Order: sequence, then structure tokens, then C-alpha cells
Amino acid sequence: MADSAAEARIDQALVARTLLGNDQRAFEQLLRRHQGMVRAQLRRLLRGDGAMADDLAQEVFLLAWRKLDQFRGEARFSTWLYRIAYACFLQACRKRSWPVGDAGDGEVGQLPAPSPAMDLQLDLERAMQRLSTAEQAVLLHCVQLGLSHDEAAYVLAMPLGTVKTHAARGKAKLKTWLAAWRTTSEEQIS
Amino acid sequence: MSDPHDDDTIDALLRQQFDGPVPDDGFSARVMQRLPPRRRHVTWPLWAGILVGAGACWSSLLFSPLLRAGWQDWLAGELSMPAFVLLLAMAGMSALAGWWCVAEAGDR
Repeated sequence: MADSAAEARIDQALVARTLLGNDQRAFEQLLRRHQGMVRAQLRRLLRGDGAMADDLAQEVFLLAWRKLDQFRGEARFSTWLYRIAYACFLQACRKRSWPVGDAGDGEVGQLPAPSPAMDLQLDLERAMQRLSTAEQAVLLHCVQLGLSHDEAAYVLAMPLGTVKTHAARGKAKLKTWLAAWRTTSEEQIS
Repeated sequence: MSDPHDDDTIDALLRQQFDGPVPDDGFSARVMQRLPPRRRHVTWPLWAGILVGAGACWSSLLFSPLLRAGWQDWLAGELSMPAFVLLLAMAGMSALAGWWCVAEAGDR
């Protein structure tokens, strides 16, 4: 907690230096501090398409450079960047007419019983892709990027209640779909 | 890994599945090369607009009988129609200025 507050203060100072002194080196520091996570966020959103994610990430940082004076410090700088990145992702989806649909809404079955060689992580990846896009986005931001529900609501431009619902529903579906892992291990025990 | 049957385990599995930050590999340098020069935020058109607007307002009201009559009635302590209109305009402008200050303070 103290670490994240210190990080936020460093970001604020770098933003102020960039704006007041028109200091490109301060912006470069901000860029180096946050590029890794923004690119990781976009790679997950784009299901591993690294080249596309990097193109979008470049767009995100150019946009952040142009709109830096609009950053008022009401959210952490990283959260502000995630918000821009998510907006760029949605815009790219609309431009290229990619589906931003509900991949797995409604069906709550189970994935096929795992063979011993099957990896749980692989099944989790498949199960994640069966979630609706909104559920995937909420779990990515809340669990994998470590944002609070409030921050995720800010990034995804969703009401807080919707974020909480998607998080709970997404986890419930994952639990159901991955239940075979539990059954198998229980069978092995008995 | 334990069985995926509770929220904590699902969280742990999801975190494990996440690859973490992507290494820079020249990305930052590429972005820095494409950075356009920063545009200075120009404020003079706003101030010029405010001055011209205020000047136009003042010159059009200066010779208006309504303003003069209202002002005189107000000084005399009479709440006539022109004085009331003047009072209403001032109250409206004060309310607008107050709302703007609160909105600006809330943004910071």
C-alpha cells in the first residue's frame, strides 16, 4: 500500500515535470515505468496478438503525451493509462469489426474431463475464452492487473455494481467449467 | 496447484496464468522517436473573448435607461422593476460564478 502510494507520487512528479518543463525525459521515464503492464493488458485483451498490442500501445502513449494536461490525478497514472488503452482497444475493435460479443453467455456446462496430460492452465485459458468479453475484461483488470473494483469501473467505464456482478459471475462460471479438475482429483483420492 | 473450487484458488490460477509486464525491447525508444512536439496551451483567445464580451456588454448597457433607472432606484432603496431586474441579473451571475468555482475545485 505504502509502495503504491510512493509509486503514485513518483508518477505525479514526473507528470508535473513533463507538463511544466515540457520535459521529454520525464515522459520517457513514465513510459518506461508503465509500458510493460499496458502492453501486457493489451496482449490479454487481444488474445496474445503481440504485434497488434504493441501498435495499440504505441497509440496509447502518443495519446497520453497529447492529453497529459487532462490527467488530474483523481486516479493513479497507471489506471489512467489502462483506461486510455481500453478505449483504444474498443475503438480498434469497432474499426476492424472484431467481435466484442458475449462468447459464453448462458452456457454453463463443464469442459471435457481432463486427461492426465491435460494442463490445468490450458483449460483455464480455454475457459477464460468462453467467458463473455465483459467478464474477461473485468477478471483481467481486477485479478490479473490487480486493480480494485472502483479502479476497474473507471478503466472499463462501467458502473461499480456491473463490475462486481461480472467478476462474481465470471468466477462462478470458471469454477463450474473447471469442476472436472476437482472431481478427477477426488476420484483419484478415493 | 490446488483444485479450482473457491474464489481464492481461481484468483491464484488467474494470476499464475498472467505473464506479467512485457519486456521493453526497444518499445520505449520507438515511441519516443514518434513523439510530436508538444503544443503550448494558448490561453489568450479565452481572455480576449472575455474582455471583448464584457466590453460589448458594458457599452450596450451603459446608455440603457433600464440600467440607470435600476441603479438609481436601488441606491434610493426602492425595489422597483428595473432594480429587481438588476438584482436578479447580479444574483444569476454570482450563482454562475459560484457554480464554476465549485466545479473547478471538484476537478482538482
